[in-house]
Parts: sequence; structure tokens; C-alpha cells
Amino acid sequence: MKIVLSWIKEFVDIEDISVEKIAHELTMAGLEVESITNYGEMFDKFITAEVIEKIKHPNADKLSVCKVNTGSEVLQIVCGAPNVAAGQIIPLATEGARIPNADFVIKTTKLRGELSQGMICSESELGLSNDHSGIMVLSPETKIGIPLAEALGQNDVVFEIGITPNRPDALSHQGVSRDLAAIFNRPMKTKNLSPERIAKRIEEVAKIAIEDKVNCPRYSAVVVTDCKVGDSPDWMKNRLRMAGMRSINNIVDITNYVMLETGQPLHAFDLNNLAKSSIIVKKANDGTKFKTLDSVERNLSGSMLMICDGEKEVAIAGIMGGENSEVSSTTTNILIESAYFDPGCVRRSARALGLSTEASYRFERGTDFEGTMYAALLAADLMQKYANGKILSGELDIRAESLTKKEVTLRFNQIERILGYSVPQDKVVSILRNLQLGVKEVTDKIVVMTIPGFRPDIEREIDIVEEVARIHGYDNIPTVHRVSSPLVSAVDDLEMVNSMRRVLIGMGFNEIMNNSLQPAEITAVTGVPVPVMNPLNAEMSVMRSSLIQGGLATVKNNLNAGEKDMRLFEYGDIFIKKGEAINSFEDFEEVTVVTMLITGKAATKTWNEEERDYDFYDLKGYLKSLLESYLVTANLGHVYKTESDPVFEYSIEVFSGENKIGVIGKINDSFSSLFDIEQAVFCAELFVNCIERKKDKLKKYNPLLKYPKIVRDFAFIFDSEVRFDVISDFIRKNSSPLLKKISLFDLYENEKAIGAGKRSLAFTLEFYDLNRTLTEDEVEKEFSAIIQKITKKFDAVLRGN
Amino acid sequence: MLNKISETKRQFFAAAEGIKNSKELEDLRIAHLGRNGTVATLFEEFKTVTPEEKRVLGKELNLLRQELQAKFDELKEVIESSEKLSAPKIDISLPGRVPNKGTGHIVAETMNEIITIFKKIGFSVVTGPEIESDKNNFEALNFPADHPARDMQDTFFINKDFVLRTHTTPVQIRIMQTQEPPVRAIMPGRVYRNEAINARSYCMFHQVDGIYVDEKVTFAELKGTLVHFAKEYYGSSVQYKFRPSFFPFTEPSAEMDITCFICGGKGCRVCKQSGWLEILGCGMVDPNVLKYVGYDPEKVTGYAFGMGIERISMLKHDINDIRLLYENDVRFLKQF
Repeated sequence: MKIVLSWIKEFVDIEDISVEKIAHELTMAGLEVESITNYGEMFDKFITAEVIEKIKHPNADKLSVCKVNTGSEVLQIVCGAPNVAAGQIIPLATEGARIPNADFVIKTTKLRGELSQGMICSESELGLSNDHSGIMVLSPETKIGIPLAEALGQNDVVFEIGITPNRPDALSHQGVSRDLAAIFNRPMKTKNLSPERIAKRIEEVAKIAIEDKVNCPRYSAVVVTDCKVGDSPDWMKNRLRMAGMRSINNIVDITNYVMLETGQPLHAFDLNNLAKSSIIVKKANDGTKFKTLDSVERNLSGSMLMICDGEKEVAIAGIMGGENSEVSSTTTNILIESAYFDPGCVRRSARALGLSTEASYRFERGTDFEGTMYAALLAADLMQKYANGKILSGELDIRAESLTKKEVTLRFNQIERILGYSVPQDKVVSILRNLQLGVKEVTDKIVVMTIPGFRPDIEREIDIVEEVARIHGYDNIPTVHRVSSPLVSAVDDLEMVNSMRRVLIGMGFNEIMNNSLQPAEITAVTGVPVPVMNPLNAEMSVMRSSLIQGGLATVKNNLNAGEKDMRLFEYGDIFIKKGEAINSFEDFEEVTVVTMLITGKAATKTWNEEERDYDFYDLKGYLKSLLESYLVTANLGHVYKTESDPVFEYSIEVFSGENKIGVIGKINDSFSSLFDIEQAVFCAELFVNCIERKKDKLKKYNPLLKYPKIVRDFAFIFDSEVRFDVISDFIRKNSSPLLKKISLFDLYENEKAIGAGKRSLAFTLEFYDLNRTLTEDEVEKEFSAIIQKITKKFDAVLRGN
Repeated sequence: MLNKISETKRQFFAAAEGIKNSKELEDLRIAHLGRNGTVATLFEEFKTVTPEEKRVLGKELNLLRQELQAKFDELKEVIESSEKLSAPKIDISLPGRVPNKGTGHIVAETMNEIITIFKKIGFSVVTGPEIESDKNNFEALNFPADHPARDMQDTFFINKDFVLRTHTTPVQIRIMQTQEPPVRAIMPGRVYRNEAINARSYCMFHQVDGIYVDEKVTFAELKGTLVHFAKEYYGSSVQYKFRPSFFPFTEPSAEMDITCFICGGKGCRVCKQSGWLEILGCGMVDPNVLKYVGYDPEKVTGYAFGMGIERISMLKHDINDIRLLYENDVRFLKQF
């Protein structure tokens, strides 16, 4: 909302207060001043001047050399605009002027060899409009040599204020003035309206009926006849322009002007176009088509409130008028509509139509149901003054009984209870009075108010506490510190995630974060996705069912950027639809997962290291290390899958006890190809909530070994199909508890040396007992027993002996 | 023999002056302190002198051996330590084996920094679902249907009853519905807004919300808590101000500004020359919210606050495009 300083000064006397102070105090009272435009300062060194001579530039086709008279001297200006001509009064930027829209400073210079001592400006360059077709030409009556801001009637300051949805009253100059009056404790000035009326009565020329009093509880109208439609006075044009509105004609400008002043949107109907001279407020007929002022044909629905005449629709209530009753250059008789419409009704219609206007913006936030007649009369008064109109006697005003003012009681002690400090009672009462909140009774404990119509946001005691707080100033509220201990004993899900993050970061992984909104097709591969009803685009139409797709997209983006080697991880929620439709939280699953992803090279070639590609075992090792930090490892189990699945070429499902806690594997080629990735990607996904926390299960201390370990190695040639874990499980099952550790130290395949379809696996076995020293003999006995069993079981050949 | 003793001493100390390395030192030791060195020879000769002479010479000889040994030990230490330093065995200037630098995402890191501050002053951490009921996301938080306040948060709908939560504030409803007052918690997480994606806005971001409801909780205490947070996070010299604002679920509501930490309040590009940065929204829990969860607004009061994490991260690290945060370019990630 743009607020013009000279305009608010009509309502409150703040002549002695600086612009900065006004802006600061408004902000600190909840009307945030987002920017200040000071036209006087902005147009410093801009003056009016007369073009007295124009000749063609000798060295440039499109330029001309002008002599301009500034009143005190004659300057030479090189100008490129086609419309410049001798005799024009023009805005001139003189030496040192800063061009608002280009941010450069005017200096005397030579343009193609000709001296230029300033610049003749277009409206666009002055920041007044987007018109850059030529220079701005001022009216011939304009004095020359005066400051431009003065000539434009814009020697003024404009505050751009961000109005929160609860403050419809501040969508007007009057409303902002009311806050200023309260802030600076100054009286609010009111306008006395007693325009001259002609004898003819309004009832003779117009009638009004409201069929839907719920959505239109008040409709006020005044009729002005014999108007002459034409230009608005300059001062009004200037104020409208500064407030961000375009001038149309005097009638439309007056309705807009009154809206900006009072907050009450008005509509001016051409009375001669209203069939049967009547206004009927009722719901639209479903499916009716209606052309609004902006020449767009709209489809109406039965829930929309319409203003109709005796035959047809003439306006969508509170939103926009129709082309059929628009004020035109030939209009003479005008019915001024000033109504109060139900905010919800206007909002629903505006949303359904996709049409938001200055009027609907105010109606849907709540206008002043008490102020309709005043606004209509103010407009009539202005039409009389600036359109030669004649105001008929009487007014039409239909008001539903449901419109009543709310009564609110403030208990003084509630201020301290909520704010933590007390405000003196007389101060409280004076704030409420200055805000014109209808104080009607004050005792030593309470103050009772009848809230005026312009504050629809005030309904409860807490609303009054807020009013007192914001006007008295949040700065006056003390800051109090209290030492506290935790009060909520919920499990902190983030703690687990964060410890895992720390481990992964320590292992050299880079954390990524992807959009939870993903394309439908690739998301469906990992689970039935939850779709979004109103997605931004097809690429973000469902909630992710896995983090793998986002991870692969990240890999692709980085490959494109030339980064080929990655270790990435992400944590976040995934969503899987369970029911047919989502009617409750049982119909979908939302769980937190951590995904790890490696691709490219594990090591690049350096002076002391060989290059090596990442493989499945790198990720398997990372995963083991991560899980061992969190799990009681004895519970870990695996299910190996080598048959293809939609995502993995081969994979392992990881279990903790009975719970599947995740999966690890190599992404298959067809899935990678969806992301245009050609290099191998290994990926693990873990369900965080299923992971048993170490601190949930206390680990007992194991005594440290005091006796020597005995270590034996052997290597066998096995058939290649025999899996490592089958062999190692066999060894473990067939050994005594003295065998504590089996590790694989070599794997060798060579057709010539050991035959086709064979591989050699070399193991180290570690034996010890916590309570005694083992003898070579007993280990030897055990060791040779295992050798025999392996040989027999797997038809394997012992090597090297 | 006394002459020989003093001559041996003189020779030893003279030779000791010129010793440069451990090899020369060892030669010196062998020459004087070795099995057939000068000192040993003197002791041999000592065996042949008269008992009277022995009394005098014995003392002198022992003294000689001690002095020589002490000098030798001293020299040994000096020479060995200097040799250790000056004898390069490897080219220590060759580059080391550098493991990949792991990094946390700055949004997660920022969120954790904020959480840590509130945890220290007694806030528990509670999370909630990202697909939330319209009831919890709006209705319970005093957003009337058909009210322009709903325009403040453009919403992704799953259907008419479920939405992608537009803020983490609904978690406060979940906490209060399962627990009697007092409650004090922070609620971090991911939220969604149906907004076009550009340099300044994204369709999702992260928030940390907080709530404290108890008897006698006041706006003054809200200020105290948030001032503590601002000083912990932005430094103790930070200036602040609370401006009235509007949120449906709090009243009175405020926005907290702090002095721009880029320019120190002088005015710069980041703070748009104002010297201030808006960092969070807050207020006293609206009585309608307390009533909704079955709390008695006449008995308890509460405060709530919420802040966007991306904004804070971006301000802190001078990131001018929010999309960088979700493009996950490794070259970007590794900078933090």
C-alpha cells in the first residue's frame, strides 16, 4: 500500500515530525514501511525549462541540438527523442542530477562533438511511468525554472507499507493516519461533509433490493446527475499516480481516490444503463457468461454474488463491474455504489474467477460496514466539485440487522499476564481512545469497548492486548531470561540421524539434499507414490518413494559439470501410498531414510598411489563401518540377491534381527540409463527408524586377551560358484570355539594355472582362548581337521602343500 | 703423573672443541675413554705408584674420568639431536595421502547449530510428518477457511484434507494434543510452498519452530529467549528489534530483526541498505490454538517462534541463489 505523506497530513498534524521518524514509528507499530520515495530529493537538480531552438545534430542523424531556457540561463542540450520541439516546456536534468531509472549522474559532456549541458527526460527516465517513446512534455502553463517535483505536484513523500492480512483498516490513508494519531498521541481530524443537494429525490430515479442479505448486509447508494466526464484535476491525478493508480477520467478517479482515502471500494454505475433504474443484489445463475470491465468474458457460478439491474447482471459484487454499465465519456447520471460484502463470499468468487482487484483485496479482508454512506457522500461531493454533478436529495441505504458492533472487555491485569510487564491504566485507556476503539466504560479493573466497523480484526481481549502492546511499543517490553530444563520427553529422531551424518562425513561423504517432489514415473519404481493435487510441473508431481532417484539425478548433474568421482549421502523422508485414497495417516507411510551413493574412482593416480575404481566392496565396507557404530553387530543378517530387480543389478538386504533395515547394491544399467549415467553406481539405503540404537542396548565389556593368538593360513581351489560366505560359515560351524576370526587374504583366478571355472581363496584363521595359552598341537589338530572337512565338502584342492 | 693427568685433560678438551659429528666423537671416546684409551692407561700406571701417591692420584684420576665422561655425554646429546634434525631420510615436502573431504549440507549444519542453542536452554527436539492434515496445518492454527491469511502460505494439496505442510508449526499441535502443559520444544523440519522456483524462492525449505506453554509465560520471556538465541548465534554484540506483525496462530505477533551481520548495521546490499535483517517470526500462542488442543487459556499462556533455515544459511554464506542449495554440485558442497 502506497501512502502519500501530504494526504495523511489532512487527517493528523505531524508537520513537525521527520519522514524517517514517521517511517520508523509506523514500522514499530506493525505497519512495516518497506521503502520511502522522497520525490523532492529524487528530483533534486531537475527543473522545468523551455525549448527555444532545435537544430539537427551535425554529426548524427537521430540526434538534435536544442537550446533551452531555464529562466536564468540558456543551456545547450543534445537530445535523441523524436518528439522534442521548440516551444515545449520540458523536465530538464541539470548537472549533478541523478536519473532515477538509470542510476547515473548528469555531467556536462560532448556528444559527437556537440556540447550537452543536461538531459531532457522521458516519463520512464523519471520513474513516473513506463513511457519511453519520447520526452515528457509539461503543460504549457507550467512556469519555467521551478523544481520539477513542484511542477509535477509531487513535492511529496510516498511510504510503501506492507499491510498484514489482519489490518484491512490500514489499506487507506485514513486508517494509517489513525495509527499515527495514536502513536504520536495527537487528535484525528475529521471531514465535515454537507454537500449541496438538489430538490429531486433519489427514490424517484433508483431503487435497490437485496435478495442475499447474508453476503450483502449493507448497500448504500447516492445518485449524482448531470456530470461532465473529463479529466481529473492535476492534484488528484498526482496523488493517484503517487499511490500507484492510473488516471482514467474524473468519475473513475474519484471512486479510486475515495477508496484510497477511506478504504471503502466504490463502484460508479451509469444510471442510464441500469434497466428499470434498479439494483438487485443476488446470486448468479450457474453457467451465465458475463463480460467484465477488462473485456474478459467470465463464467459465473451459482455461488457468486452479483449486482444486477432490472434485467441483467451489471457487476460481480465486490470484484469488478461489467462492461455493460461502465462509465463512458457520454455518461451524465451516476449511481455510486458503496456496499459491505461478506469477506468470505468475495474471496471465494475472486479465487474461482482468478481475478483479484483493489476492491476484492479490501472486501475479502473486511471493510468498514459503518463507513459506506460516508464514502458514497465523499465521492458525491467530489463529483459535484470536479465533474459539475448535482447530488440528489436523500440516499438509499439497506442494512441487515445482523450488522452489529462487537463488544470487547479488557481486564487490565491481562496485559501483564501476557506481556510480562504492566502498562499504567490511564496510558492503556488513552491508547485505546486514540485508536478510536469505542471505549465506553472504564473501571479500575476493566475497560469495555464497542469496536467500530473499521476494525474487523478486533474481536477478543487478546486483540486489545496486542493493540496496547504495538502502540506502547514492543521496545518497552523487558527481556526476561529463565533457566530451564527439558519438559518434553519425546524421542529425538534427529539425534540418530545426526550421529550417522557425523560418521558419514568423517568417512569422506558429501551430504546432499534433493527436492522431495519428483517425477511420477521414476518414483513409481520404488513404491506407490503419493501424488500432489496441484504440482508446479510434471517434474515435481509426486512425493519421493526413495532417495535413490534424487541421488542419481545428482550424480548426473555432477557428471555434466565434469565431476566424476563422488561419495554422496542424503537423509530425508520417503512416502509410500498404501490405501486407495489418502483419508488418514494410515493410508500412507512416511519414513526417514539415509542413502549412501558412490561412483567413479576410489583413488586417483598420485605419486604414491595407484588409480582404482569404486566397487561394491567399498560401499559394503563403508556400510559395515557405519552400522557397527550403531548396531549390536551380532544381530546383523543378510539376504543376498543376484537376480535382477527394477533398481539393482545385485543387492543385499540387510537385517537387524527380524527387521529389514536396508538394502545395498549396484544400480542396474536400465535404471541408470533413465538418468543417462554410464558409469557404475553403488548405492545403499537404510531405514533410520528400524536401526537399533547402541545406547538402547548396553554393550558389556569383554576382558582383553592376555594370551597369545595362533594364526594359520591356507588356500584352496574351489569351484567359482561356491560363495565366500558359504565357505566361511562352514568353517565357523565346523570349528571349535577356539577359532575366533576368519579372514580372506587372497582371491586368485587364472585359467592356465588353476583351471577354468575355478578360483583360489586364501584364508587366515585366528585361534585363541581368553583363559589360557593354546598349544601348537591342539591348534594343529583343529586346523588339519578343518582342511579335511573343506576338501571333502567342497571338493576343493588345498594349495601349496 | 699429575702432569700426565692434566695433560690428558687438556688434550681431551682441546679435541672436544673441534668435534663435528658422531664419528669424530666416537673416535675421541675410543682415544680417551675406551678400553685402551688414555684414561685406562693412566689407571694401569696408577697400579704401580706408592700408597701415599695413590691417595692423591686416586682422587685426581677419578675426577678426570668423571669430567671427561660428563663432557662426552654433553657432546653426544648435542651432536645426536642436531644430526637428527639435519639428516633427511625422506622428502617430507611430498604431498600426503589426502582422504576425500566429507561435508555436511549447509542447511543441515545450520539447522543443527540452531537446535543446539535451544537444546542447551531446555528445549526438546520433536519432529512431525511432512504430509500433514489440513486440520493440523491450518484449522488448529487459527487459519479460518476463506481467510486471506491462507494466502500467506501457498499450499500443495494432496487432497482436500491433506497438504504438504507449509510450516513446522503443526508439530506444536501434535505435541500439545499428546501432553498436558508445560511443554517446551523446538520442531525442525522440511516444509513446502507452492511457489515458482527462482533465485529467491524454492518450492520447499526448512524451518525450526519453537513453543513454550506454561503458567506465567510472557512476551518478556519470549524476548529473553530469542535475544539469547540471537546473541549465541550471531555474536553477543548483535543489536535487535521486535516489530509487530501478524501470524494467525500467535497474538500479539512480532518479527525479530537483528543488525545486519554483513555490514554491522551500516547498510549494504544484503540488508538493502537498512542495516537490519529479519530473522524470525514469533508471538504469544493465540488463545484459539490453546483452546483447540484443550488447554485453558485462562490458566496457561505460551510463546512460539519460527525461522527459515535456508535464509539464514544464505545470508551467512553470502549465497545469492537458493537453487544452489538443491543442485548438489559437488564443487559447491565441498566449499563448506
